[in-house]
Amino acid sequence: MKRNYISVALLCGILLLNIVFTQFMVHQYFYENYVNTLIFMSLNIILFPIAWLVYKRDRRKA
Amino acid sequence: MTDKNNRIPFDEDNYTHNINRDNERKLDRRGFMKTLVGAAGVFAVSSLPWGAVAAKELLGLGNKEYPHQKIADLNAVAIGDAVEFHFPGEHDSALLIRLGDEKFVAYQNACTHLRCPVFWVKDKNEMICPCHHGKFDVETGAPTAGPPRRPLPEIEVEVKDGAIFAVRVKRYEA
Ligand code: FES
Repeated sequence: MKRNYISVALLCGILLLNIVFTQFMVHQYFYENYVNTLIFMSLNIILFPIAWLVYKRDRRKA
Repeated sequence: MTDKNNRIPFDEDNYTHNINRDNERKLDRRGFMKTLVGAAGVFAVSSLPWGAVAAKELLGLGNKEYPHQKIADLNAVAIGDAVEFHFPGEHDSALLIRLGDEKFVAYQNACTHLRCPVFWVKDKNEMICPCHHGKFDVETGAPTAGPPRRPLPEIEVEVKDGAIFAVRVKRYEA
């Protein structure tokens, strides 16, 4: 079985972005910049389908 | 049954014959990726409440006016002294400091780092957080040292009929 770690790296990157966006979201909330909070929430939500697509693409190739 | 393993090649009815350890396939490459996708899902779902409260504030539902609340009698607070009170809710602890004859400042004193109660040190002229030694400027509530990065929310105060009242919590943008 040949292993492909590109997808793993991509998913790790997505997890990192999740953490960063969550941090920004919470801080912007306390700074009362509510529009920014909403933007970071959307980014966090969009990351989930992306992660899922990365996973599916990896399965198809295997 | 007994000769099952003696045939060459023997029938492979599962793939477990090459597992040597317990739970060997629990966290292989694919299992790890599944965990990561799951984590992304958890992040997405747990972002929702923050978005919801932010949207609520944006729509102005959070701009409630609270009834003015008496903090203390004017004579009871000496210059340089501080009084603890709660405003606007009974769990939002706050601190009133009398800086001069006519000069009062009040802040919600939950530290903007990790919410420890900030207290007033009279002879150092600073507000100090005991948890990680965060310091705040009394005049503005801005952080001056330590981990906090955000100013303390200021409370507007009013002196009326020989008593001090809390009026509202100021917004940052204002
Ligand atoms: S909680 Fe105040 S400095 Fe950390």
